[in-house]
Amino acid sequence: MSANLRALQQRMAQAVLDPRAPRPADILGDARAGADERLDVYRHGYRLRLAEALRVEFPGLARLAGEAAFARLLAAYVEAHPSGHYNIRWHGDGLPAFLERAPPWRRRPALAAMARLDWALSTAFDAADEPALARAELAAVPGDAWPALRLELQQALQVLPLAHNLEAIRRAADLGEAPPRLRRRRAERALLAWRQAHAVHYRLLDADEAVALAAAMRGEPFAQLCERLATLHAPASAAPRMVALLQAWLDGGLIRGWRIADG
Amino acid sequence: MPTPVSSPRLPALGFGLGLRVEHYEALLERPAGVDWLEIVSENYLVPGGLPLRWLERFRERYPLVMHGVSLSIGSTDPLDEGYLDRLHALARHVQPAWISDHLCWTGVEGVNLHDLMPLPYTEEALAHVVERVRRVQDRLGRRILLENVSSYVAFAGAQLSEWEFLAAVAERADCLILLDLNNVYVSARNHGFAPLDYLDGIPAARVQQFHLAGHEPGERLLIDTHDAPVADPVWALYVEAVRRYGAVSTMIERDDHIPPLPTLLDELAHARALAASVLREAA
Repeated sequence: MSANLRALQQRMAQAVLDPRAPRPADILGDARAGADERLDVYRHGYRLRLAEALRVEFPGLARLAGEAAFARLLAAYVEAHPSGHYNIRWHGDGLPAFLERAPPWRRRPALAAMARLDWALSTAFDAADEPALARAELAAVPGDAWPALRLELQQALQVLPLAHNLEAIRRAADLGEAPPRLRRRRAERALLAWRQAHAVHYRLLDADEAVALAAAMRGEPFAQLCERLATLHAPASAAPRMVALLQAWLDGGLIRGWRIADG
Repeated sequence: MPTPVSSPRLPALGFGLGLRVEHYEALLERPAGVDWLEIVSENYLVPGGLPLRWLERFRERYPLVMHGVSLSIGSTDPLDEGYLDRLHALARHVQPAWISDHLCWTGVEGVNLHDLMPLPYTEEALAHVVERVRRVQDRLGRRILLENVSSYVAFAGAQLSEWEFLAAVAERADCLILLDLNNVYVSARNHGFAPLDYLDGIPAARVQQFHLAGHEPGERLLIDTHDAPVADPVWALYVEAVRRYGAVSTMIERDDHIPPLPTLLDELAHARALAASVLREAA
C-alpha cells in the first residue's frame, strides 16, 4: 500500500539531503525551468531554513566563531546531521556534541562549550513553568527540621563548567556590543543558567556556591550542605555564608520547594 | 455565491492576521480591523515559559485558529502520535475555531525536511491522504482544514490536477479547505496552469479560510517567501475567489521581513473593502 508514494518520497528526501544524490527521474522539467533547477529550490531551502533557525539559537557561538566560520560550521552540521524533529529549532540539540567531535571544530573546545551555554539558555526559555518558593514558606520550617531539609531546585536549572570567559562573550552578543577576546581562565568556573518567572538568567558561581549548589542538586540534606561549606570557610563564617546563599537562591527563584527526608 | 445549506463550513470570523512575535505588544491593544488571529501551533507546543504566557493574553482577547506545519499528512511514515497528542492538548486549551495544516509531506524515514513537499497527484497518494485525514479528524474530534502549498516540482505519472486532488481529498475525507491564494498564483506560474481553473475546481462548500501573502518575483520560478506585500495578481485572484465562495474568513500571512503592524492593517483593510464590494455586487 502506497509503495510508489513511499519510494518517491525516499528518492526526493535523499536528493534534498544529499546534493550529490541523483535527481529523481520523476521530477518533470519544462520550458519555464528544468528539473534540476526545480529540485534545487528544495535543496537550497532545506539548508537555508535550518541555518536560519540555528543562527537564532546560538548567538554566543556566532560571536565567538565569527560570521564566516559560524556559517561554515552550521553548514557542516546540517550536512552531517539531518533534522529529526518537527520543531526546527530543536535541531540545535545536537550541535554542541557535533562541535566536540568533528574536525576541525573539535580543536577549539571553546566552540562546543559556547554552544552548550547557548543551548542551555535556549531550552530554559520555554522549559516547564515551575513555582518559586517564597522566603516566608522556608522561614516557617521548624528549627529542628532544618538538618534533614532537602531543597528542591528548578528542573530547568543548569550548571556548566567554563574554562573560558564565554559568559562575557554571550553577554556582549545579548547587548549587541563588541565581544571581549576569548581568554582561558587559570581555573575553570561554573556558570548557572536558569529561568525566573519568564526571564532567562545566567551568572558565574563562586567556588563555594558551586559546591553547595551541586550538593543541593544531588538532594543532599541541609546539614551536609553546611558541612561542605565548613570545609571551605573559617568556622565562624560558614553559617552566615550558607544563609546568604540560601537568600540569593530564594531571591533568584531557584528553589521550587523543600522536603524533609532521612537517609 | 451563497453558502449551500448542506455546507460543512463553520461560521466565518471575518478578517484576521497571523500572530507574530513582532506584533505581540501592538495586537494586545486590540487595534481596529483585526477580527481574529491565527497562531502557528508549533510555536506553542512547548513545555512553558513566555510563549504560553503571551498565548493566554491573546486567548482572552481574540477568537483564535490554530495553523500547523508538522502534520505531514501526506508522508508514508506513520502519523506522529506524540505530535498529535500535543496538538490535541493545545487545542483543548486554546479552543480554536478551527485547526489547519498543509496538503503536503514534510519528511520520511524519520527525517524532517522542514519544507512543505508536494505530493504526486495520483490515486494512490489520494487514497493514502484521505485515510490519514480521517484518522486525524477522529483523533481531534473535528474537521481539519488543509491548505494548498506553493510548489516547484511536479511528478511524472500524475492522474489528477492539483485542484482535482485537493477537491477529492476534501470531499472523500470530509475535511475543509484553507485556500492560500498566493500559493495558487505561485504554483500556477511555476507549472503553467490557469489560476481560475484552480478556483473553479474547488468545492465552495468546503472553503473555510483564505490566506493572502506575497512572494519573491523570480526570473523563471516564483518563490513563495511570504515576506512581501500581497501582489496585484493575488488581489485579483482574491476578488475572483470571493465571487466564487462568498464571505470566507480572510487572513494576511507574513512570515518574514515582518513590517510594522499598521502596514498589515492597511492590507487587511484593503481585503475587507475588496470583499465588501464583490459581495455588494453579487447581492
